[in-house]
Amino acid sequence: MNEQTNLDIFTDSFLPLLQAGIAFTVPLTLISFALGLVLAMLTALARLSEFSPLAWVAGFYVWIIRGTPLLVQLFIIFYGLPSLGILIDAFPAAVIGFTLSVGAYGSEIIRAAIVSIPKGQWEAAYSLGETRLQALRRIILPQAARVSVPPLSNSFISLVKDTSLAATVTVTELFQKGQQITAAVYEPLLIYCEVALIYLIFCTVLAVLQRQLERYFDRYSTV
Amino acid sequence: MIEVRELTKSFGGTSVLRGIDLTLEQGQVLVVIGPSGSGKSTLLRCLNVLEVPTSGTVVIGKARLEFRADAKPRKADVLALRRQSGMVFQAYHLFPHFTALQNVMEGQITVRRTPKTEARAKALQLLAKVGLADRADAYPHQLSGGQQQRVGIARAMSIDPELLLFDEPTSALDPELVREVLKVIRELAEEGRTMMIVTHEMKFAREVADRIILLDGGVIVEEGPPEQIFGQPREERTRQFLSLLLEQGSV
Ligand SMILES: Nc1ncnc2c1ncn2[C@@H]1O[C@H](COP(=O)(O)OP(=O)(O)OP(=O)(O)O)[C@@H](O)[C@H]1O
Ligand SMILES: [Mg+2]
Repeated sequence: MNEQTNLDIFTDSFLPLLQAGIAFTVPLTLISFALGLVLAMLTALARLSEFSPLAWVAGFYVWIIRGTPLLVQLFIIFYGLPSLGILIDAFPAAVIGFTLSVGAYGSEIIRAAIVSIPKGQWEAAYSLGETRLQALRRIILPQAARVSVPPLSNSFISLVKDTSLAATVTVTELFQKGQQITAAVYEPLLIYCEVALIYLIFCTVLAVLQRQLERYFDRYSTV
Repeated sequence: MIEVRELTKSFGGTSVLRGIDLTLEQGQVLVVIGPSGSGKSTLLRCLNVLEVPTSGTVVIGKARLEFRADAKPRKADVLALRRQSGMVFQAYHLFPHFTALQNVMEGQITVRRTPKTEARAKALQLLAKVGLADRADAYPHQLSGGQQQRVGIARAMSIDPELLLFDEPTSALDPELVREVLKVIRELAEEGRTMMIVTHEMKFAREVADRIILLDGGVIVEEGPPEQIFGQPREERTRQFLSLLLEQGSV
């Protein structure tokens, strides 16, 4: 009798949880990661630029974000900024927080990847008459992209899980939904395991995509 | 015509080139020899402006640039001078994410703004010239060292440079692959390409050079036709260098 009830609770809550995942967790992850990658690229280029104030600003940003907890950053954006008259809705506030995070950690990955490309590649591009920007775009970044795919995929998968922090700033994403259901049915073990299962499904899909991306880049070898 | 006047280059406090003067007529082949650390690579890299010379003047074709210790050259001037010469590197430095064909198209498309079909046709022609028409679609890692270096030569020629620079083009190659690369360079010499070649292959130098310079300690110790350098060198230093090579069996 009891087991039957548990199964009911499981099946009844699966759809609402999946919906919360698809309606909030997935878009939050995708939007933050896409914007974060752009920010990461700009930050990496700024840190490598010959113009030192730009490099300094970028370095300062990375220092702040990496040196403080993501949870605290989210609280500052959502609960703190209103004191300055800056009111941001929960979802965009979460997007801003996660974007800044991906931007900072991603920029370190991209910067390391760019620096890892042998100097001879720059020189070969220069010797053809390419400008620094052309060399970067045509020769260096495509190779750096290949190097950064595995670590960036890791960041992406981490982000999927980190979006659960958005629950603390009132976004009704997957984890928050789990909390709500738990409060109603009082089956924390069951519901939170179910929440975990759905995160696992999302991350597994991503891992498969990552492998395909890596295979695409494996068409050439650098050795 | 290529002209180099009072060219110097220092890294920090160490001066590596100490006043190089050179003139090279169109179609001439100049071979640069000298002991390790004498500044051969630095000289070539300065002409391609991969290193910015500390002072002196470089004229290649239509581009002329005067370097001064107290001022950085303008980027546009550097690009203009650099585009007058093509560089063949000891370690090839092919673009690994491009096929052989794409490697030879890259400069044409990105720098010259040549339309793709035209660039492709020319790249295929250049690959055929270095004997690699059938490997156009191979990635660098699928090619032997000798093949990679021949792609490197085709790539350097793809931007129609006034001057081709070779920095020990065969030093990284297994002995049996050296010949195929030297053959290509010899053919270019016969075609009347203007070239500067750093090499330790003395037999090849003797055949291909119109003139040879011996560099030591950042200065030109002796300059002359191969018959002079190998037959009756005027400088004691040249004799020493050649006899050292003779001992090592590379003449
Ligand atoms: N980027 C650099 N920074 C500092 N010193 C350098 C740099 N490049 C070259 N040198 C120094 O300049 C000198 C000449 O180097 P270069 O590579 O031109 O010699 P080379 O004649 O080509 O020697 P090799 O036959 O070994 O290739 C060497 O003492 C080298 O250590
Ligand atoms: Mg050298």
